[in-house]
Amino acid sequence: MSASQRSQNLKLVILIAVLILGIPRQAQAYIGPGAGFAVVGSFLVMFTAILSGVLALFTWPVRYIIGAIRGRRAFARSRVKKFVILGLDGMDPSLTEKFMAEGKLPNLAGLREKGCFKRLATTVPSMSPVAWSSFQTGCNPGKHNIFDFLTRDKQSYQPRLSSVDIRGPRRTISLGKYRLPLGKADIRLLRKGKPFWKTLGEHGIFSSVIRVPITFPPEKFRGVQLSGMCVPDLRGTQGMFSFYTTRAEEKVEHTGGENYYVTREGNTIRAELIGSENPLRKDNNVLRCPFVVTIKGDSSADLKINGVSCGLKKDEYTEWIKVDFKAAPGIKVHGICKFLLLSTSPEFELYVTPINIDPEKPAMPISYPAIYSTYLAKRQGPFATLGLAEDSWALNEKVLVDGGFIQQCINMDREREQMFFDALDKVRHGLCVCVFDGTDRLQHTFWRDIDEGHPAHRGQASDEQRNIIEELYQRMDVLVGKMLAKCKGKDTIVMIISDHGFSTFRYGVDLNRWLEENGYLKVKGGPREQKYLAAVDWSQTRAFAIGLSGIFLNLKGRESQGIVEPGAEAVQLRKEIAEKLAGLRDPERGQGVIKQVYNALEIYRGPYKGESPDLLVGYNKGYRASWETAVGQVTEKVLHDNTKAWSGDHCIDHSLVPGVLFCNRPIVTEHPRLMDIGPTVLDMFGVEVPKYIDGKALAVADTDSSRSRKE
Amino acid sequence: MSFLAQLIIWINILTNNLGRLLLAPVAVLPGWLSNTIISAVTGVALLVIFKYTSNQRAIGRVRDNIKAHMLALKLFKDSMSVTLQAQGQVFKGALLLLLHAVRPMAVMIVPVALLLSQMGLWYQSRPLMVGEDSVVAMKLNGSIEQPWPNVNIESMPAAEVTMGPVRVLSKREVYWKIKARENGYHHIMFQVAEEQVEKELVIGKGFMRVSAKQPGWQWTDILLYPWEKPFGPDSVVESISIDYPDRLSWASGTDWWLVYFFVASLIFALIFKPLLKVRI
Repeated sequence: MSASQRSQNLKLVILIAVLILGIPRQAQAYIGPGAGFAVVGSFLVMFTAILSGVLALFTWPVRYIIGAIRGRRAFARSRVKKFVILGLDGMDPSLTEKFMAEGKLPNLAGLREKGCFKRLATTVPSMSPVAWSSFQTGCNPGKHNIFDFLTRDKQSYQPRLSSVDIRGPRRTISLGKYRLPLGKADIRLLRKGKPFWKTLGEHGIFSSVIRVPITFPPEKFRGVQLSGMCVPDLRGTQGMFSFYTTRAEEKVEHTGGENYYVTREGNTIRAELIGSENPLRKDNNVLRCPFVVTIKGDSSADLKINGVSCGLKKDEYTEWIKVDFKAAPGIKVHGICKFLLLSTSPEFELYVTPINIDPEKPAMPISYPAIYSTYLAKRQGPFATLGLAEDSWALNEKVLVDGGFIQQCINMDREREQMFFDALDKVRHGLCVCVFDGTDRLQHTFWRDIDEGHPAHRGQASDEQRNIIEELYQRMDVLVGKMLAKCKGKDTIVMIISDHGFSTFRYGVDLNRWLEENGYLKVKGGPREQKYLAAVDWSQTRAFAIGLSGIFLNLKGRESQGIVEPGAEAVQLRKEIAEKLAGLRDPERGQGVIKQVYNALEIYRGPYKGESPDLLVGYNKGYRASWETAVGQVTEKVLHDNTKAWSGDHCIDHSLVPGVLFCNRPIVTEHPRLMDIGPTVLDMFGVEVPKYIDGKALAVADTDSSRSRKE
Repeated sequence: MSFLAQLIIWINILTNNLGRLLLAPVAVLPGWLSNTIISAVTGVALLVIFKYTSNQRAIGRVRDNIKAHMLALKLFKDSMSVTLQAQGQVFKGALLLLLHAVRPMAVMIVPVALLLSQMGLWYQSRPLMVGEDSVVAMKLNGSIEQPWPNVNIESMPAAEVTMGPVRVLSKREVYWKIKARENGYHHIMFQVAEEQVEKELVIGKGFMRVSAKQPGWQWTDILLYPWEKPFGPDSVVESISIDYPDRLSWASGTDWWLVYFFVASLIFALIFKPLLKVRI
């Protein structure tokens, strides 16, 4: 706005004010609804603010006393005011060291000089849900019950999510074609144990916990929490993208997404977003939200959805767009998604992200308190809520190109940064934890660029010569720099941790095929590559694999069609399979595939160790459970080239992929473990570490001394 | 100001005709019903005007910000620094909302003022009933030092002059007491010096359009009393008013009609706000 425009606007405002003041006797002349509701709305806001302010001030002494009493219990023995943990999922210590040595990570290098940098031992298996569960509970998996992303249903052998169980409300009322629920859906967190921030809360210490995996549904505690990994999308899946195209090919089946064939009428394309099944309808019809795209040229189009219009530009994501699905008259389910126009001609191609739960009006609880997600949405606008928000499936399925996926990861990191920094501002005393997932997703999908021996390596002819992973680490270093600038107080401890490191994933190992070849698994007649173990003959199968971490025995009394007797037979079978599998070699490359096979009963302690896979497979670098094993398929060979974009992984032997630990204070402990972080936080806040916790408090130096208190 | 007065006179000609047409049902409907209908239509119409004359995106951002800070008050209630900061931000947001309302207010102030003036003709006073007394007041132009003109009221069948004229020299005002005799819209004729002037007199029951004052050459008065042509700046008479009785009703009575209109129109605007997707 130019100075003359500003001056004109100012004159206009003054003129209006003079006009209003000029007729004070005729007040009724300007108190109309048009002006009135604006004025009244504004005054209502002020009135509410004053009221809440007065309430806050009047109740402050009481709250202060209560807080002081609570606080004294903890802070009296506390050695810190604030503890900040930045989780960078999957940050690898070797790569970090390399980039620090090259001078590319100045902030992390500075932290190493001032405080410490160590390798952080991860869990068995080295997978995010397992590791972050051990982080938050301070316990081994035998006490928190998370052993993989997936577990099997003991009755049906079908895979199911290991961390959460979502069921509809128990009772409903029938009303014509509708089925009205009495009560809420039953959403249960299957992770057991108690997060250390809950223990902190019991001692009056406030925590802000943002996007730590396996925190859905959120639990009650003293603080605020936004759930992370395992929050479903609006369809109840872990992320289902939509791809609309006019390309009339054979029916394409995508993993993690759906293809929709659309027709073009002139410049107009009509389609529908597909939501969840309608929980209010007896026929369970899926919810739909129609939209219209009008193509305007080679690289742009207009989108109309829910009565709102917005422009689409080729290769540019839209902002988050709110989509409403009508479930019943007056009842809507709210979601958000982004659109990405991929092509307008010769064929129309449109990608739509999984429909995330709208954080402003969440259809399921995704934060504690429930208003926390609303607060964040109001403060910074809509943001991704899906657990695995970065849509690596779309990249794997070649719907998204590299640039589109990278941009998605960067956008989500920006959203996360905003909420993390807000938490740093708001929490003056207490704990702040925030986990960034982009580090994990980008390494998973772009490891092929830094591993020349990878089957999916694009070679020097690649048009993208960017070192995506190096850029990622540098971006995280900038984030660390900004965070450190906000955490300058001497009484603040800052830790940067990762749940595991990374390695290449060149070859997939079909464990079920190996079990079949070795006589432990029998495939029925008919198509053998059916998903979800549908091809398995359970009457003759003694062991099977599903998920990424291990092998289950078909144990009598545990599995519905079990044939292996518990006791000596099971013990012998575990030993036999472990020994044989440890000797598995890759004949083509002449190297061992497996580093070690672990017996769950020997490595875990706790009440839930019986829920674990019986054997956990620690692969050597370059190998991992195959894509087929993960979903319970049985192929015709044991080793498969991995040609997908998903080219890096950490689901290998835990000793090969430790995480990182940076701290702004020296840490003397030689071999810190992820499960030691929680006890360390408790210890620094002067809270006694509960005896059931397996982790031990690390020896962290006091503020003005490099000597450790526990030295 | 002369131009402004003349402009309002021209506008009044238009709004009087529109008012005569659109507000005619007021004469036959119960007061609460007519005021409710007018409030509903006005509330929704002005809501639409507000939508298109305000910066809806900016208002949305401010509203979201206010809501975020209100929620912060609850989420971080144990932190006094967060509480105070959030309070400050809420006040700032409220002021910003007021600023964002200036433009739509500026646009709406004229039509709303004209509408209220027309509604005032119907609701602010009730007509005289047959047999009822009232006072007619005439204010003369000029200063008290100027010579006093000859002022006479002509007799008429519709009303009887029972007292007066009573002159208040210090105010240059003349008063008459009259008694209503015949229902209907009538005109009282006055002879003031060489000038003949007239003032409408309304006698009857129920709702009739009542012009309590024939204004002088003052734009605010012309705006508020739109029905009768104002006296010119050179006229001997400044204004003539009749002291009509108050109407007693919560929904359509004197002064209360305005409160009712204000509240009802707000309620209708708020009801239609989500349907019309307006952020206020």
